[in-house]
Amino acid sequence: MPILEARSLTKTFRRPDKASGFKGAVKHLAQRKYKNYTAVDGIDLSIEAGESVAYVGPNGAGKSTTVKLLTGILKPSEGTVRVMGRDPHTERIANAHDIGVLFGQRTQLWWDLPVEESLKLLKHMYGVSEADYKRRIAMFDDLLDLNEFMPALARTLSLGQRMRADLACALIHDPKMVYLDEPTIGLDISVKDRLRAFLRELVNDGTTLLLTSHDLADIEEVCERIVVIDKGAIAYDGSITKLKAHYITTKSVHLHLEGAADVPALAEKFPDYAWAAGQAASEVVATYESARHSTAEVLGSLTAQLSPRDLSLSEPSIEDVIRRLYAGELTK
Amino acid sequence: MTHGFAVDRAFATVAFKRRLAYKTQWLVALVLGGGAMLVSMAMWSNLIGSGSLSGYDWDSMRAYLIIGFVTATVVFGGADWHIADRILDGHIAIDLTKPVDFQRARAAEYIGSMASTVPTVVIGVVGAWLLFDPPGPVSPTAGLLTAVSFVLIFPLAFGIMYLSVLVCFWTKRYLGIMWLREALLGFFSGMMIPLAFMPSWLQSIAWALPFPHFTTTPAAIYLGRVDTAGALGLIAAEAAWTVGLWFGGRFVFRHAVKKVTVHGG
Repeated sequence: MPILEARSLTKTFRRPDKASGFKGAVKHLAQRKYKNYTAVDGIDLSIEAGESVAYVGPNGAGKSTTVKLLTGILKPSEGTVRVMGRDPHTERIANAHDIGVLFGQRTQLWWDLPVEESLKLLKHMYGVSEADYKRRIAMFDDLLDLNEFMPALARTLSLGQRMRADLACALIHDPKMVYLDEPTIGLDISVKDRLRAFLRELVNDGTTLLLTSHDLADIEEVCERIVVIDKGAIAYDGSITKLKAHYITTKSVHLHLEGAADVPALAEKFPDYAWAAGQAASEVVATYESARHSTAEVLGSLTAQLSPRDLSLSEPSIEDVIRRLYAGELTK
Repeated sequence: MTHGFAVDRAFATVAFKRRLAYKTQWLVALVLGGGAMLVSMAMWSNLIGSGSLSGYDWDSMRAYLIIGFVTATVVFGGADWHIADRILDGHIAIDLTKPVDFQRARAAEYIGSMASTVPTVVIGVVGAWLLFDPPGPVSPTAGLLTAVSFVLIFPLAFGIMYLSVLVCFWTKRYLGIMWLREALLGFFSGMMIPLAFMPSWLQSIAWALPFPHFTTTPAAIYLGRVDTAGALGLIAAEAAWTVGLWFGGRFVFRHAVKKVTVHGG
């Protein structure tokens, strides 16, 4: 049985529909009009225990609203959601005990108190034993340098420190299902690397992870599956490997030639490849269909006939694919 | 795991510490509260003189004003804005992902923050006692029952505050609700002026509400305006309001939580 199952999950908000300006505000007092706005539109989502799922989409797509529906913060307008067999909204407290949530834009820390006090309060809330608490704090310190700012008041923390502390708050009770909404905001590259390694280990130990992030390196390094949401509906749901295989069909060779590159002449000589000028006069890029031509064949023919000074191989990144998915240029 | 007393204690302690983290604010509250009591004492001393008004002579009015100072300090010392802000700025989203009963957690926080006013109360009462030498309770039993009434003020204040804050789920604003609540509380509790000074129809309205139990009830017991049976009746009414407001809060929250609209990430 999946650990999380959402069927036709929908959330509609009612927004005031009023004209701008003073007149609009006064008119709205007397004549209230509202418009319905559907933030999440009939989503079907199933996650098995131990999966690591990336949940991505452009700004305003409905990612955070979906996470709020799955965690029980919001009540669905239509549809159902079950997490570990429970309705997260009506069985909120029971569900909350088994999940960890991190919202990158909202802190869990008590603003006027030292970080340590916040963690101790969470320890009481979740019923974490003293031994487990100490062990996990030591682990977070090793990973996130937590002890560096444990005595500091939450409101004095930098963004990166706050994110690290919030991550510890979300995981202090070793939850089975973890929702991380933008967990690497404000973290430097070395901490990001350590965090990603930690999350991979978490998943290997059986924790189920739903991660939203605009940093696609987070997704590539941590998640096996990606769900793309756009305008409240799922645009893609499958493994990251399959996404790349399905949409990344070309590769490019970047060549540095001895003299100036004549792009039209190269296009005539090698009509199977798409040619484009590089940044410098002697640079040129040849793009080919990876299904039609092997890399060895392409490199072999180009080096033999052009004798480049230097060359490098690249393929579109997952960012390019996601960008094109957001733009609606790719279909499922 | 259920929400146990260790969690309540933790929330209350955090709220208590949070209030005392702002020492200047605490000192200002002491000065303002004490100052207001001194002004009231001076005013009533002139009004009453050596006579009495509506059954209050200078002796009983001194005691009444000190009781009013205690209840006002405690009741208005609670951190209601902290709870309202969490609803209005969307931080309630975080609270709803925690395995704690929302109302019970807020009650523990509120009572913890009210407890932070106890040092102010002690200093104020000791100062008032030294300056004005008010009479003691009419009997040891009255003293004990007054203390019981004071203790019940904590959950009663929470009940009223919590219900008013929940209105934010619909109105998205708190200031007006707070003003209305404090006006009603200040007027109908007897903090501003003893209910005995009001016409009887207004007193009837007051006694149909929970507010008189903040000042009038403990003062009536302390000053012997009611006998022991009457005191027990008042305390029972105070307790009934406390219980009723608690369950009223749970009912309203069940509907309010469906109105959560936390936008923006």
